Amino acid sequence: MPGMPTDGGGGGGAIVPFRGEPDQGTPSPPAVRPIRHGVAPPIFRVYISWSSGNLLQVACLRPPNSEGRGRSEEVAGSVVEVNLSCGGSGGAEVEEEIDEAEMRRIEYGSVPAFALLQSRKNALADAAAMSRLSSVPDYADWWQYVLEYSKAVGNLLGSPDSPLAFMIEDPKTILKVREKPTNLKAAWELLEIFYVDKQLQSWLPERLVDWLADFDSLLSGTESTVYSKLSNFQKKLINLQIIEDDPDYWNGLSAALSVGWLDIVVNMLRFHGSYQLDQMDNRETENGLVEAVAVLVSTMPRLRPNLPTGKLGQCCKTRPDFVKAWEKWRGQVTKLECSAFWIQCGHQKTRDGLKTLLHIMMGNIKELTASTSHWLELFASHFLYIRPFTVGFEGMHHLAQKCIQLKPSSGTNGLTGLVIGVLSENPEVVLAECTKNFGPWLVTHAMELLTADNDYADTMLHEERPNLGGISIDELHRLVYAQVLCSHSLTWQIAPTYLSSCLNQGLGLLEILLLKQPIQDNRLVLKTLEICRLYELDDVSTNIMKIAGIYHWKHGRKGAGVYWFQQAHDKVRLDRIAQQLFERIGKSVTDDSFKQWEGLLELLGPDIGSAGGLEFLHRYRDFKKSLQQALDGRSGEAARQTADFLIQLMRNPSTPQRFWLPLLHDSVELLNCKPRPLINVAETTLLLNKLQELSLAKLRPDFSNNHLPSHALSSVRLALASNLARAILEDP
Amino acid sequence: MADSPLFRRHPLTSSVDLVRWLPSSTASPSGRLLAAAVHDPSLGSAASSIHLFPLSDTTSPLASLPLPSRATALRSSPAALAAATSSGSLHLLPSSFECDAAVAVPGGAGFHVGPVRGLDCGGEEWVTAGEDGRVHVVGGGGDGRVVARRVWDGKGMSGYEAARWASPAEFATGGAGCGVQWWDRRKGDGVVAQCSGIWGRGIVTGMVHSIDINPSRKHICVVGGSSGTIFAWDLRWPQQPIPLSGVGLNGTTEPVCESEVWEVLFDPYTQSSDIITSASSKILPVMMCSEDGILAVVEQDERPLELLAEACAINSFDIDPQNPSDVVCALEWESIGVLSRGRDTMAEDDNC
Repeated sequence: MPGMPTDGGGGGGAIVPFRGEPDQGTPSPPAVRPIRHGVAPPIFRVYISWSSGNLLQVACLRPPNSEGRGRSEEVAGSVVEVNLSCGGSGGAEVEEEIDEAEMRRIEYGSVPAFALLQSRKNALADAAAMSRLSSVPDYADWWQYVLEYSKAVGNLLGSPDSPLAFMIEDPKTILKVREKPTNLKAAWELLEIFYVDKQLQSWLPERLVDWLADFDSLLSGTESTVYSKLSNFQKKLINLQIIEDDPDYWNGLSAALSVGWLDIVVNMLRFHGSYQLDQMDNRETENGLVEAVAVLVSTMPRLRPNLPTGKLGQCCKTRPDFVKAWEKWRGQVTKLECSAFWIQCGHQKTRDGLKTLLHIMMGNIKELTASTSHWLELFASHFLYIRPFTVGFEGMHHLAQKCIQLKPSSGTNGLTGLVIGVLSENPEVVLAECTKNFGPWLVTHAMELLTADNDYADTMLHEERPNLGGISIDELHRLVYAQVLCSHSLTWQIAPTYLSSCLNQGLGLLEILLLKQPIQDNRLVLKTLEICRLYELDDVSTNIMKIAGIYHWKHGRKGAGVYWFQQAHDKVRLDRIAQQLFERIGKSVTDDSFKQWEGLLELLGPDIGSAGGLEFLHRYRDFKKSLQQALDGRSGEAARQTADFLIQLMRNPSTPQRFWLPLLHDSVELLNCKPRPLINVAETTLLLNKLQELSLAKLRPDFSNNHLPSHALSSVRLALASNLARAILEDP
Repeated sequence: MADSPLFRRHPLTSSVDLVRWLPSSTASPSGRLLAAAVHDPSLGSAASSIHLFPLSDTTSPLASLPLPSRATALRSSPAALAAATSSGSLHLLPSSFECDAAVAVPGGAGFHVGPVRGLDCGGEEWVTAGEDGRVHVVGGGGDGRVVARRVWDGKGMSGYEAARWASPAEFATGGAGCGVQWWDRRKGDGVVAQCSGIWGRGIVTGMVHSIDINPSRKHICVVGGSSGTIFAWDLRWPQQPIPLSGVGLNGTTEPVCESEVWEVLFDPYTQSSDIITSASSKILPVMMCSEDGILAVVEQDERPLELLAEACAINSFDIDPQNPSDVVCALEWESIGVLSRGRDTMAEDDNC
């Protein structure tokens, strides 16, 4: 995108990005970010590139050779880093209710579950390929693995059932104080209910009722829901003298009953004034009726295998059992409704309220519609009281449409959109709703749920599409999520798990990601290299080591530089830096300041083969040490050894030419050693040849001067000549 | 993944690089204290700090010491808590934990340039060893100030990654490729012994990350480094380091891990398997943590005892000196873990 330098009014100037698309419907105003770059206008060129994470590097340059040349104090250009994370990102709802650190916790936690599922998938695919049964792969148990995965991920999102802390519950608490449910958790559970858990399919309606009980508070922030009715009544409760006179009490009761929160209904019924000891005598019949309704509510038959503790109703595992229990229970409800005791009940509001509850239990559609607020609540009440046997998505979808007509809600919320998408058996809609409302984390992880037992979704998501550059939708979303992870310096390390599961473009992006990691810190480099090792990216790790080596070398940490080059087996660069090191040795290392080099030499290790040109350093050190001993102690043995070292050094092709003369010059005293010459005729001839070569090289322009005294060459020549003479005489 | 009740994870909201137990002699009302070096890049200039918090509540730090850059080393002594940073500075927090009373030696040409990974307390003095190849001894100047004295300047020819005191006069350092050095301050502040490690078989060379010296056997260093390598170095036989674990060792036992060993500590809790010979030359049990998420106890000629196998790296750990059954570790995924080892569980392990 081109950047247009503007003349900022306030000194600093600003770079304003602009979009040249005038025909866009209603273009949102571009976000403007002032940058303090400190470069005085005019700005000649702007370079923008991505740095690590969501940092943008902006380089601003002044024109070269402009009139500002004379004023050397002016900055010719600068590079600033702009952090883009603090702006509004994504716009997904989840990010508002879950803070960044919490989201990162979820991201970390989902990695092991995701990796396990992927490895199981690969293992199954391998097994299928091995047994040549690819036509009928044994995926029978696959959904159970997915369910395990789904439960593991779901646990990360928080468990709505767990109480916040150990607290003594007020008997007058209607709604239990719990961890606040999140949209993310609600969406995840919804997908799990519909797509994964096969065991639940026979009692899907009951699962929806349970789901609604957990997440009713999320359905709408502005409009009334059963949850909001009850929590409003809870606030009012403390100030109420005679509860049964308040219409909200009865409204709350019928609302809670219509969505099947039986425990709450029974609990609330016990608040009724007739239970108070001082009133028992006068209101005996009334109390009897309240209690009878409470008993009926608590014994409502439910078509489900079990109930969580604290929830009421009688479970019926099979349909015939349920039908039997249902008919019996309905009979009791009808009997109570027609009972003669109602006439004896003096309290008008109690009589009406209880009758409403009975009508709800009898499945009176008018009462149900009146007592529920949101269409999903009405939807759930249908399952409970009118059509407990609803199965199949088609019927459910039809019912949902009817409920929406009865209770149109103004604002659509991600969850309702998701429910409609699921019921209309339209994975595309589900995916779109997830993408729009719940962010890349959910989309990436929910793919596995969508495809668990759905061939159509499986094909749709895994089909490679030319319009996506040959990748599947599944892969596309994983790549997007991986990008999100990469953009944060704390989460980039988990991105490889997702990238490696993308067959087409994942590995390429992984290599780029690894190569872009900062190399300043050795520990971080080692962490990056560990990832390379896990994914067997040897070339990448070699490259990273080389980059790290150059960085440390440039910053004066020669040891670290050599270490990384050695790790990378980079002979070429080791040779190159060897030349630079020799330059320094020639100047600075005189006699005993070799101490500083000890560390480096130790680093090169005993196996000098790996050191490239640096092996010379080892030999040079040995020579110098030995020479010192020879000159100090004057012992024949040390002198003999030094002469050996000298010959070795001069014979070795890796000894740089510029060291020949210093070496020989150092050894002048050795050559003149009495009584016997240390170097024989052949060796002396070799040295003389080298000296001759050196004299010729002197004429070349690239010859480097060694800061030796000017007579060095002649004194060496003299010493060699006299040594040759003595050696010839010694030679038998 | 159900965690065993003996291991508890405490999520923090920033990355935890290092974690240490604080000596409980400081009599805090809220129980045992932990110090953690945390890093949150989203906080800009306040990205790095040292947090002190009670074990019971990891979410609200009692004190927080801001650092100029990411912490690279953290040690506690009875008198102070010390932290070194990647910009070469050293920060000392007195045991009263009043952050105003903290003193710092700023990084730069006068002290260290670049990360200081080696840091240890030897009674009165602290030793620091940096990647820039410098070694300093930092001590009190008598008037509340701290004075850093340069022991050695390697001028970048070698770099140090670890340092540990053995006695008031001797300490050990280790670093990239150069193995372990033994320094004796009585002998002109120089390296008196050197060991190039046990690398070289299949791997060119390696890096030392951590050194520990048992106070009862001051001549033995245990060293952890690259490629899952753990070895012991006995000064009496300096040319023969004793391998405890590592890739490419010619033993049939599997190495306990194959990645970087970030930290090693002698484990006073695990009893040596052979009590009769424990007075002999056998190396005492050593606990280690690694980049591939292993926390384990290794012992010479024994199978390693794996305590944790996490999905993410364990960057640092510490054994509570007062109560050695408790181990705290810093996990890569922004959390710390506390492992309590109980007698009964050890017995259970033995039975099965």
